[in-house]
Amino acid sequence: MDLGISALNYVSGIKNNEFTVEEFISESLDHIKQVDEKLHAFLRINDFAIKKAKEIDAKIKSNQNVGRCYGMPISVKDNICIEGSKTTCASKVLENFIAPHTSTVVSKLHSEDSIIIGKTNLDEFAMGLSTEFSAYGPSKNPWNIDCVPGGSSGGSGVSVAANECIASLGSDTGGSIRNPASFCSVVGLKPTYGLVSRYGLVSYANSIEQIGPMTKTVEDSAFLLNIISGIDPNDNTTLDNKNQDYLSDIDAGISGKKIGIVTEMTNSDGLSADVLDATNNSIQTFEKLGANCEQVSLQMVPYTVAAYYTITSTEAGSNLARYDNVRYGYELDSSGFEFNSYISQARSKLGPEVIRRMILGGFVPSAGHAGKYFLKALKVKSKLISEIKHVFEKFDFLISPTVPIQPFKFGEKINDPVSFMMVDFNTVTANLTGIPAISVPYKITNGLPIGIQIMANHLEEHSMLQAAYALEKTVDLPEVPI
Amino acid sequence: MKSLVNEEEISDVAKLMKIDLEDHSAHIKRVQKMLEYFDILDRANVEAEEITVQETDLDKLRDDKHIPYDKNLLKFLKSYQEKYVKAPKLN
Repeated sequence: MDLGISALNYVSGIKNNEFTVEEFISESLDHIKQVDEKLHAFLRINDFAIKKAKEIDAKIKSNQNVGRCYGMPISVKDNICIEGSKTTCASKVLENFIAPHTSTVVSKLHSEDSIIIGKTNLDEFAMGLSTEFSAYGPSKNPWNIDCVPGGSSGGSGVSVAANECIASLGSDTGGSIRNPASFCSVVGLKPTYGLVSRYGLVSYANSIEQIGPMTKTVEDSAFLLNIISGIDPNDNTTLDNKNQDYLSDIDAGISGKKIGIVTEMTNSDGLSADVLDATNNSIQTFEKLGANCEQVSLQMVPYTVAAYYTITSTEAGSNLARYDNVRYGYELDSSGFEFNSYISQARSKLGPEVIRRMILGGFVPSAGHAGKYFLKALKVKSKLISEIKHVFEKFDFLISPTVPIQPFKFGEKINDPVSFMMVDFNTVTANLTGIPAISVPYKITNGLPIGIQIMANHLEEHSMLQAAYALEKTVDLPEVPI
Repeated sequence: MKSLVNEEEISDVAKLMKIDLEDHSAHIKRVQKMLEYFDILDRANVEAEEITVQETDLDKLRDDKHIPYDKNLLKFLKSYQEKYVKAPKLN
């Protein structure tokens, strides 16, 4: 059985009786057992997956209505809640936290008869871009296990790339879906802010984060977006997409479309020569497909990383204040502590990056410093939004490399906070402005993947997926060496 | 001129965030480096820019009505008594 098939091929395989749900799930679980000791994509596996598979097989056999997913195994990042099961956010603080409710995205997947095969690894509380900050150890890049898989949704990226599941849900605050998608050679889509409900996502930076699909093909991302998008009464920031079908006319092509090549993202100091080469090659491909490409400048881009870390730290500082170990948390003998020192003691279980972001989050918006940091960051964000509005009057899409570099070795960047932050250089613009963006696998150079990022205007996922599909159809990448 | 934020200021903020810096003093240098990088915001020339905020129309908000929650959330708490959260006993 080919576990590497796409979601759409899985559905047709089930419909044509090529395999049963139980056969596919059981083989996927065996495969996970074989490879995950090495790759560590998963933090936990769903013990009820086979039982659920049997139930769906029975439904299919007796001609009952079956949801669009037909039992396909989907993994979910471990900061997305499923009632009655653990959600740890890869933190020791939430080691035994059982979610009291199910996120809207998972409810939607359940109602379409998907099987959540397991919860995937991430940087603690989604703060990071390599999974090196997971309290349970990093995930490994299936293309080269000495390299990081990207992050923070690194486990999700690995699980899809290594064929441990058909697709995954990640969350993207500054590139956390697109970065591991690029590093693992899978498709990763960050939707327009508000297109997908965040109900049941453990908050990191509420004003910019989104849940989105990570898949083997562009069509699969459209398929999953059809399921998870739309208004949710439990999330007031959700938008009405009028039940748009993102799969329809996905092969429409991009002839005559105008594409802006973001100058600041293609000439930055940190851009590797191989990534630049792949990007230039993709521009030629877009032109061959009939699109018109030209350079466009977004002058705020050089300031976006600083603005992003300032804004997200501030929101994270406020969100993490709830981890006081009073209502939930872990057993900690309180005798001898006064109030503040008890909380400090409880927080000593937080990992280093989370601690740093909390300190930053207290510092940058504080009375004496807000004018220098937080307010200026908000102004950069505002100006970037007007720049984006302006360029989308002329262009249909913006493109750039998803990440300025290829997957790096474990430990290579972790000690230099500034070069670490710069890895987010090309991805944070979409988060700060709320626009959709997708990373499409484009090339394997020196055995490691390179992804191309396509950004579109608000709620233009449909045309963005058409562009991504057109690009994807021009590439023929090698199989992942696992 | 580069203005390095001093360690004492960062320690004070950490205390306010209830983070015990005896355990985390190693992070201060790193936080300092990040703040030093944030100085780039001074070069963005955005002083005159208006801050825009996300707006939500009132009619998009849920009705201001009590919706009973059918699950017993208390049972998820570490420690509770009847309807109350039981906080740890502190000095």
